[in-house]
Amino acid sequence: MKKRVLAMLLVAVMIMTAMTACTKKTETKDNGSKTTPAATSAPKKDDNTATPTPNVVEDVTVDVTTYKEAPILADKVAAGTLPKVEERIPDRDNIFVETNDAAGKALEIGTYGGVINMGPAGGGWGLSRPTLESIIRYNTDGSYYPNVIKSYEYNSDYTVWTFHLREGMKWSDGDDFNADDITFWYYMCHLNNFDGKKSWAALKENVNGEDAWATLTKVDDYTVTWTFVNPKYPADFIMNGDFKFCWAPSHYLKDVVPNYEGYEYVENPYWPNPGERDEEAVRLAAQALGISGESTKDIGKAAVYNFWNTAGIPTLSSFVLLTGTKDDPLCVMERNPYFWKVDAAGNQLPYVDAIHFNATSADGQDLLMFRSGDLDIFEVAMKDIASVLQDMGNKAELRSYASSNWGSYQITFNYATAEPHYSALFANPDFRQAMSICVDREQVSQLLSDGFLEPGQCAPAIGNFGYDAEWETKWTEYDVNKAKQLLEGCGLVMGADGFYTFADGTPFMLTFLAYDGTQDESYPVFEQYFKAAGINCALKNLEVGAFDNEVRNTDWVAVMGPHTSIGGLSLYDRVAPFVPVKGDAAEWYGLYGKWYETKGEQGVEPTGDMKKLIDLYEQWAGTPDSAKKDEIALKIYEVHKQNLWSIAYLKSEGSYTLINSKIKNYANNLVSADLYQYANIAHFEVLFKAE
Amino acid sequence: MGEKIKNFFRKDLVQYVVKRILMFIPTLFLISILVFFVIQLPPGDYVSTEIASLITEGELVDADYAAQMRADYGLDLPLWQQYGKWVKDIIWTPTDSTYYRLYHSHHNWKYSFAYKRDVWSVIQDRLGLTIGVTFIIMLFQYVVSLPIAVYASTHQYSPGDYITSVIGFLGTAIPNFILAIILMYLSYKWTGNANVGLFSQEMLQNGVHLYNFGEFMKRMIIPIIVIGTSGTCGIIRSVRAQMLDEVARQYTLTARAKGVSEGKIIMKYCFRAAMNPTVSGLGGVLSSLFSGSTVTAMVLNMQIQGPVLYKALQNQDMYLAGAIVMVQAILVVIGILLSDIALAFLDPRIRYSGGGR
Repeated sequence: MKKRVLAMLLVAVMIMTAMTACTKKTETKDNGSKTTPAATSAPKKDDNTATPTPNVVEDVTVDVTTYKEAPILADKVAAGTLPKVEERIPDRDNIFVETNDAAGKALEIGTYGGVINMGPAGGGWGLSRPTLESIIRYNTDGSYYPNVIKSYEYNSDYTVWTFHLREGMKWSDGDDFNADDITFWYYMCHLNNFDGKKSWAALKENVNGEDAWATLTKVDDYTVTWTFVNPKYPADFIMNGDFKFCWAPSHYLKDVVPNYEGYEYVENPYWPNPGERDEEAVRLAAQALGISGESTKDIGKAAVYNFWNTAGIPTLSSFVLLTGTKDDPLCVMERNPYFWKVDAAGNQLPYVDAIHFNATSADGQDLLMFRSGDLDIFEVAMKDIASVLQDMGNKAELRSYASSNWGSYQITFNYATAEPHYSALFANPDFRQAMSICVDREQVSQLLSDGFLEPGQCAPAIGNFGYDAEWETKWTEYDVNKAKQLLEGCGLVMGADGFYTFADGTPFMLTFLAYDGTQDESYPVFEQYFKAAGINCALKNLEVGAFDNEVRNTDWVAVMGPHTSIGGLSLYDRVAPFVPVKGDAAEWYGLYGKWYETKGEQGVEPTGDMKKLIDLYEQWAGTPDSAKKDEIALKIYEVHKQNLWSIAYLKSEGSYTLINSKIKNYANNLVSADLYQYANIAHFEVLFKAE
Repeated sequence: MGEKIKNFFRKDLVQYVVKRILMFIPTLFLISILVFFVIQLPPGDYVSTEIASLITEGELVDADYAAQMRADYGLDLPLWQQYGKWVKDIIWTPTDSTYYRLYHSHHNWKYSFAYKRDVWSVIQDRLGLTIGVTFIIMLFQYVVSLPIAVYASTHQYSPGDYITSVIGFLGTAIPNFILAIILMYLSYKWTGNANVGLFSQEMLQNGVHLYNFGEFMKRMIIPIIVIGTSGTCGIIRSVRAQMLDEVARQYTLTARAKGVSEGKIIMKYCFRAAMNPTVSGLGGVLSSLFSGSTVTAMVLNMQIQGPVLYKALQNQDMYLAGAIVMVQAILVVIGILLSDIALAFLDPRIRYSGGGR
């Protein structure tokens, strides 16, 4: 009897628990539904940047005479809760037609419905990767085309840039997207630094030695111009990796904009001064919209920068967050019913109804979930690929992303050090050669990557701009004796303890800085080679903040696994990995960057080839011609090839994604780069599930 | 019965309880200092963690950004000032503060940097589920272990006693996380599904209802086996030992001689006395209800409080970690008091006024 009572109690408790769980998922925000019919343009490849091998773009027949929509949206239209598809999206002249994937392959016409399951959303940018639509979009070959904007143009001296918008395009809540949303973003969210990004280089220039910002003018509802005093070349403007968006939903956010010390109103002809609005007023207004933050800075970031993370904020993205947060056990991003793209047959995108981000709490769970069929797409570690594919047979397919990094396991030295012994030693290329050839890369490859990563050097990987086979193998032979000769040639003297000292007897010691334990596994491997060659060394692991502080000073010696490593996709992406022009940005040039940024007031003046990089960079930045830019970029690469300021021991690691083989239109041979927004280049809006 | 209740409210016990409640204040004060400073021990703070993750995601961050962020969050103040503000705001946040106007609460547990939300709202999100899951598992432990313990003590050295002992020991000896992994593996091997997580996607979207309750129970099997078996052995062993002790006592012999039925002897006298250590152990239960089992929850991807605390400590999300640990500490203190009171109720021989009378 007692047992029965207990058993019933157990069931009752379980039901209660279950009910707690159900109540969690009910709150939803309604989508508004205003409409004005509208309309235009199929984008074609536009500018072509530095690439040796452009993609082959397959031909596609486009027929968008009628629009079709997903059944779940058609149901809403029938129920009268959503306007008709023709009223929700731009007309044929203004619509964006997706025809090819980022590698140029023609897209299959998909079927509607289903869900794509992914692992956890991750950091602040996680939800944006599969969903964000930016000003322009890149193909894997570096070419790009207007995306959110219908088209752009610039005048002959590059001082006036015009953006044409798509008439009839709408925010995900149905409100019109037009020039006001751009002036609102610029004057009310960006220039007052509400978004915390006023320092963006794309809209900034130097006028008479002072920082100045572009003037934004609304020409009509669908045209705006950005006017600069100096020429603003594409690389510094539309191609700038930071400049992904320049809009905010004015109808939704206008009451959240701050106006007090630090966030003062910026005079402009479009938006009136809202009057004093202090931090508390901002927080209260934000709370009413479900935007949380502990400060104006937090709220600005949540509302107009990482806006995809806050449910309810209207976006132009393919999928939108309607309830909950990215940290929920299941984070659902639903299809944007006003999404402004169609396929070549006129079907409104995206094809799938939602993307589900499934939280995990330990490593390996995503792999298990993928094998169980609970995930459709997931980034797999190299070592797991073979076993998963073998077990899953034709249920899974592999997609690879080439890396744009210049080699892995990089070390670099403090070339701007004030310490004369090390300064002279590091300036000598023979020293770097010795550091490079004293390591047995074949063995390192086995020890650190099970042989997956091949031996290599700090050089562009094959398929990337500037690839050079000779560079990739420069100083990669394993020759300890030669390394010792080179070190002795640099003036080092072998001591009684088997380690080199400087000629005057000062001990020579390479203390490698590293942060957050990232080198704990690899350092011991390298240490044995260095010590065997007579180079005394140590690892100093710091917490990342302390690490950054330390490398901003002059008295560090070497770094293993730098925060900003040398090299990358191209100078269009970021300049810090190539030229010493930014303060606090990269270890390989240390205080030389500060010198350039502060116009010689602080930092250390570069000389020799470091100086040459700056001269070349100024030429590069000073020309609008992309062919000439490539030519100069190659000269910059040549300087790097000669100097190898950073040494890498293995080739760079690509990344690999496993997809459920039912998923179609996921391109292969993509490129993983910040400029391309990583997985964004897979174009999730065109993926569909063939059941 | 009336006598019993009167006895329960006797003067010495009431005095004891009042004294214990007054002792809460210095205890919690000391705990709060310990919690706050221990959480701050690792080098760096949340801002450095955040910046590291921004850089990983491809953003360039300058030094001013970090300084401004620290100023916004008050992380640039000296530690003792940060501590003072933390405690003060938790105890009483005045009506004319921004926090009160935003959240209409006088107790500001501060902000979770990682979740970018009020700490209390983060905790609340998982509180119901945590309590529910832990409660079910705990109930399982007692429901399974008490009958076994009674059986084992009344049938000492019988095959049943040996078998239950062996299973119990195995349950304790195998670390939870290993057992969890093994069961998940077997589940994947046999059914093609690893049953990761407590809820299917469908449940997360629509909630748990009668029609999918079976599926939910299926997903509870592994957590119950893993967490449940580890606790049962302890209970079985201690109750069995106590029972054996009681069964051999004079009063049992006397009762038996007077013809009291065996069932009554065991359940009314021996079992009640044997429960003492178990009841006094209930003090810790309140706090574990709140946090759940961290490592196992992580391995099984159960979205309960434990993993949140773990992540908060990792990210140095100090106010969130502080709040969870602090609430746990409060619950431990309350739990111990409650179990002392329960013990007094269960065993009238226990006296609380001082000295060896």
